[in-house]
Amino acid sequence: MEAATQLAAPPLEGRGVEVEIGGVPILRGADLRLDHGRLVAIVGPNGAGKSTLVRAVSGLQGTCGGAVHWSGREIGEMRGRDLARVRAFVPQRMSVPAGVSVREAVTIGRSSHLRPLRRLTGTDRDAIGGAMERAGVTRFAERALTTLSGGELQRVQIAIGLAQEAPVLIADEPTSQLDLGATVGVATLLRQLVDDGLTVLLVVHDLALAAAVADTAVVVSAGRTVATGRPAEVLDPARLAEVWGADARLTEHDGRTALHVAWLEQPKKH
Amino acid sequence: MARRTLVFAALLAALAAAVVASLALGAVKVPFSEVIDVLLGNGSGGPEQQIVETLRLPRTVEALVVGAALGIAGAILQGALANPLASPDVIGVTGGAGFGAILIIIAFPGSIALLPVGALFFGLLAAALVFAFAWSGANRGSVGKVILAGIAVLSLFTAATTGLLAAYPERAPSAIFFIAGGLTSSGWDEMQTIWPYFAAGFACALLLIRPLDRLALGDDVAASLGSRPHLIRLGAAVSAALLAAASAAIAGLLGFLGLVVPHVVRMAGGTSSHTFVVPASAIGGAALLAAGDTLARTLRAPIEMPVGPFMVVLGVPLFLWLLRKAV
Repeated sequence: MEAATQLAAPPLEGRGVEVEIGGVPILRGADLRLDHGRLVAIVGPNGAGKSTLVRAVSGLQGTCGGAVHWSGREIGEMRGRDLARVRAFVPQRMSVPAGVSVREAVTIGRSSHLRPLRRLTGTDRDAIGGAMERAGVTRFAERALTTLSGGELQRVQIAIGLAQEAPVLIADEPTSQLDLGATVGVATLLRQLVDDGLTVLLVVHDLALAAAVADTAVVVSAGRTVATGRPAEVLDPARLAEVWGADARLTEHDGRTALHVAWLEQPKKH
Repeated sequence: MARRTLVFAALLAALAAAVVASLALGAVKVPFSEVIDVLLGNGSGGPEQQIVETLRLPRTVEALVVGAALGIAGAILQGALANPLASPDVIGVTGGAGFGAILIIIAFPGSIALLPVGALFFGLLAAALVFAFAWSGANRGSVGKVILAGIAVLSLFTAATTGLLAAYPERAPSAIFFIAGGLTSSGWDEMQTIWPYFAAGFACALLLIRPLDRLALGDDVAASLGSRPHLIRLGAAVSAALLAAASAAIAGLLGFLGLVVPHVVRMAGGTSSHTFVVPASAIGGAALLAAGDTLARTLRAPIEMPVGPFMVVLGVPLFLWLLRKAV
């Protein structure tokens, strides 16, 4: 019975998640559900609590209310090593130490599978090679991290996450510092990974991008999740005005998405 | 990869040369063949064997252990705090150990045998104070908090030491050897008391190598991989505190070694991966201290000079040369 409920449970489910940082409430009740093989985008204005939400469900940030379950397991009962096996967290920007090559960095991403003082096995090497191949970083595997462009570095971060071989990849604004071409590259990569069976949770600012890649959009506003659903339905003009305070409209045509914004007008209240 | 192998080979060669020199050279020169015979247990039984076995062997072992300990302490602290200026000074150990030793020298000159224990005790006490303040409250274990707490505690103990020296100026000269840092030919006694602290520090450092590599990619990546960043930093600080306090108990204040050796091996090896930097710093530190100690007691033999200044003289030119070439 226990096993059956765990099988039926989604990879990740958070209910009423609350977080306080330094006595200030950041999340006041956020709900989030992740299903297998889906890409969920968390969107919302600056300071709404998007990053805090993904950090809380990832176990990087303590919560003060609500519940987070990974495949039915309460997050508080999971050790770091258990969490490393169910999800990989890709930060907005990792530290870039001098004198570390791409291959070494991706190898570090594998380290949650290694016992202390044990060497890499053939399986580990295959996982590292596979992660670099999927993320498209094999071409510059021997280069130092310090020599990479922003787009290349973001791919390396994703490769580090993939080397962890967790079924869920969580990425906090992976495209926020990238140019258009690099953003398209990372978006295509993430969508490809989902189509290959990975489950991805993404924090993203660009609503047109969210609409293009995500199966589900979760709107966070003032510490609460206020809407969840298909991006095109959830991000209607009324919500854009209410949550972002902007007069804007999302359009979708032939797989191309665009956000039409009245840049210089005050939003009309719907 | 080949470059790292080359650096390891060079370091091991330097280590071997330093060990042989340390055993053979001194006020009395012992032939190289006699040194080898003594080490293999076929000594001639003469006074030269006595010198090697009872004076130089313990002293050489001390140089190797202390050198390796300080090299590792610097390497893991610089890694854990992601700060190139980190050394055992930063977590208060050096200041505490200095105070403990000077306290024995000045207040209990009759119990000079307690000096290593005093240095060890106050070194660890200073580190414990730093941990207590840096790992409590909001943002516990953050790099800034550790460094600031460390500098504050260091200042406190340095002030106490200076106060002691100023209050008893007539006893200050005997403290200078400790402050400068140097080894003595006192046999195995000190090592017999202190070795468990070295052993614990080395074991802890070995387990930290992989977690420190994770931490190098940032706290979030380390957390993604299931580590707790503030615990890695605490482990590194405890390990470094044990190694540095035990080193100070044996050889006085040799802070320079812990700061510089890890940088030299990083620059020479072209990588900051801890699987390379930690063992290479151990070998490099051991070789540098053994070589420096040999020089310090042969240059003006039979007068022995403190090894601290000699290591600085040996190490700084190499360091500056590498620094100039580094990006």
